[in-house]
Amino acid sequence: MNQHDRNWRRRAVVFILPAALGLTVILCTTIGPAGIAFTDVLTMLLRRLPWIGNLIPRGDWPANYEIIVLQMRLARVILAALVGAGLAASGVVLQGLLINPMADPYILGISQGAALGATVAMLSLGGTIALGIYSVPLVAFLCGLATSIIVYNLARAGNRVQMSTLLLAGIAAGLFLSSITSYLMITSGQNAHQILFWMIGGFSGRGWDHVKILLPYILIGYFLMHLYARKMNIILLGEESAQHLGIDVEKMKKILLAAATLTTASAVSVSGVIAFVGLIIPHAVRMLVGPDHRTLLPAAALTGAIFLAVADALARVAAAPEEIPVGIITALCGGPFFIYLLRKKNHPGY
Amino acid sequence: MAVTLKINDIECSYGAVKVLNGLAFSISSGSFNGIIGPNGSGKSTLLKSLSRVLKPVKGTVLLNEKDLYKMSPQEVAKKMAVVPQETAVNFSFTVKDIVIMGRSPHLGRFENEGEKDFAAARQAMALTGTLHLADRLITAVSGGERQRVIIARALTQEPEIILLDEPTSHLDINHQVEILSLLQRLNRENNLTIISVFHDLNLAAQYCDSLILMKKGAVFTVGEPASVLTSGNIKEVYGASVLVRKHPVTGRPSIILLGRDTQINSKGGRIHVVCGGGAGASILGLLAGQGYELTAGVLNAGDVDWETARFLDIRMAEEIPFLPVSEQSHRENIKLLTEADVCILANIPFGRGNLKNLEAVSLALEQSKPVLIIEGRDIKERDFTGGEAELLYNGLKENGALVLRDEAAVLNKLRDYF
Repeated sequence: MNQHDRNWRRRAVVFILPAALGLTVILCTTIGPAGIAFTDVLTMLLRRLPWIGNLIPRGDWPANYEIIVLQMRLARVILAALVGAGLAASGVVLQGLLINPMADPYILGISQGAALGATVAMLSLGGTIALGIYSVPLVAFLCGLATSIIVYNLARAGNRVQMSTLLLAGIAAGLFLSSITSYLMITSGQNAHQILFWMIGGFSGRGWDHVKILLPYILIGYFLMHLYARKMNIILLGEESAQHLGIDVEKMKKILLAAATLTTASAVSVSGVIAFVGLIIPHAVRMLVGPDHRTLLPAAALTGAIFLAVADALARVAAAPEEIPVGIITALCGGPFFIYLLRKKNHPGY
Repeated sequence: MAVTLKINDIECSYGAVKVLNGLAFSISSGSFNGIIGPNGSGKSTLLKSLSRVLKPVKGTVLLNEKDLYKMSPQEVAKKMAVVPQETAVNFSFTVKDIVIMGRSPHLGRFENEGEKDFAAARQAMALTGTLHLADRLITAVSGGERQRVIIARALTQEPEIILLDEPTSHLDINHQVEILSLLQRLNRENNLTIISVFHDLNLAAQYCDSLILMKKGAVFTVGEPASVLTSGNIKEVYGASVLVRKHPVTGRPSIILLGRDTQINSKGGRIHVVCGGGAGASILGLLAGQGYELTAGVLNAGDVDWETARFLDIRMAEEIPFLPVSEQSHRENIKLLTEADVCILANIPFGRGNLKNLEAVSLALEQSKPVLIIEGRDIKERDFTGGEAELLYNGLKENGALVLRDEAAVLNKLRDYF
């Protein structure tokens, strides 16, 4: 990578990806049963901007279009983008931290742990969403954190963490926790529908409330991860080398594991378990921008946002008028990708 | 010299297994130190505890009089850099990316590398001869280059001390010398304190000012190479028989490995080898390795066999260079031969000057000692006396000397006698 390449990559992260995300959000907002034109959506959005908004004339669209776009679709697209960003960033951090290309919040069981926590929170709060909804991510976070600590320690033999053991422990823990969640759901009675609806994984019926719940957690989580971006590069050389370069590895591991879990758990508590985003996106982006986390982390977050927004748009229209859970689409992409990674003997470029 | 690192009775263990037991020594600033010892003696563990990776269960490590384990990793990394044994990097970082990572301890959390940091990295790369690799991927450089890159990264830390764990063990001899010479230069010119684990005792002897010889998790002895690397110490710590000589060029101790001790040694056989001109060097070496007591004669001072015999501490009958065997040295030769249990005649050419050697061998036969002849080439081809030597030589054969094809056959045959 020469200086020219590096500049190109930085530009990609600073200009191209944010622009692509903006475009994606608008495009995805136009998609749906009511065919609303791209320019109309753009105008509606621009009119909402402070200061300059009032200068833009209203188009001649039906009155309910504005509600569809601004109240329903936009919130949903932004939520999908936030979840995608959070999951992809968590994937980058977990892969870097564990020096393991197969790591991902879903495969390590963190998502399922968070889902169990969220379920317990929802059930015990008896559906009083107005009050409880903000605490669901916190309970999900605690359960997700407990899961990640248990899985990590299960896989550890002395000072070494075997990659295959880690994957197996994660998958086993994930299945175990999902079963408990299913059991709780079936035996819970009146709340079953609500939880089932949420657990399938998707953004159907989600709105600005959910964005408000999610946003602070994603921002805090991402901020913590970005603080350690430079040091994560050094971790890739091995924990001992990192220590020799002055990094408090144990402290960094704790903070980053907590940050990745917080991000994942908050995503899970609004959208249910969405698999494989945290696996595919970091890999694909790493191939494009290289392993430097200062570029990789924001690039993966932005790409994850674009990916999940598009996947959700597909989920809405693929089997219209029925809506399919977005988790199906991500799993359809992620399953084969996971197998491809497993088959690949070496991981050049990782 | 100021003391940089002081190790106070440290004890280290992995779980319940105690690996280091009561180590105490100090490292002076600007010195070049080697840690040596057999496998499993705790060299790498010691290095780990000196580099703030493995906290000792007992005792302290003081860096500039401060407890190493009470300093933050960042504080330590500003003073001390570590070069591991082998650094496998599987990520597509460029060499430049890797080297600049050495600035990490000097950067604040929100700080990115600035011009000063890039300058430090460039300087380190120039010193280690890796500037031309700057834009290459670390995954695409050779083992020797990678090790130099890692040393460049260590130098970029601008440390006072560098710890190295067998930094050259995966490299060929040329690269070994290149890297150690680089370290030596940094040690002398930049007053960098160096502590390195060595597997190769000769390299350790050649480059270090001070050696720490370890045995079973404890320090066996510390000191200058000449006082640490004695055949007695090495025998006791490694269990290997070696010869230690002063290196003719560097004046440092030079270690030559002999074969493993065998049963033969204890039976105390003594062998006299009649040789000269280089024909006997290999049999002398082989026999010494097997632990036989040896004598040799008559050897002209300065020739290859003479040097070999001197090197191996073998008693011999000597003659002045290029002169024929004198009466006196002939008598000396006969005396040594008479004291021996077996006589071996090497595959030497004969001229007027050394005919007496053949006479000596025939005397051995008269004393009814076993005589083994190594016949590599026919006597006709190496008789420069016009037939006189051939006559004597054939006489030996007729009187019961055993003719053997080569040195291996001799070693085999000797088992019958001892």
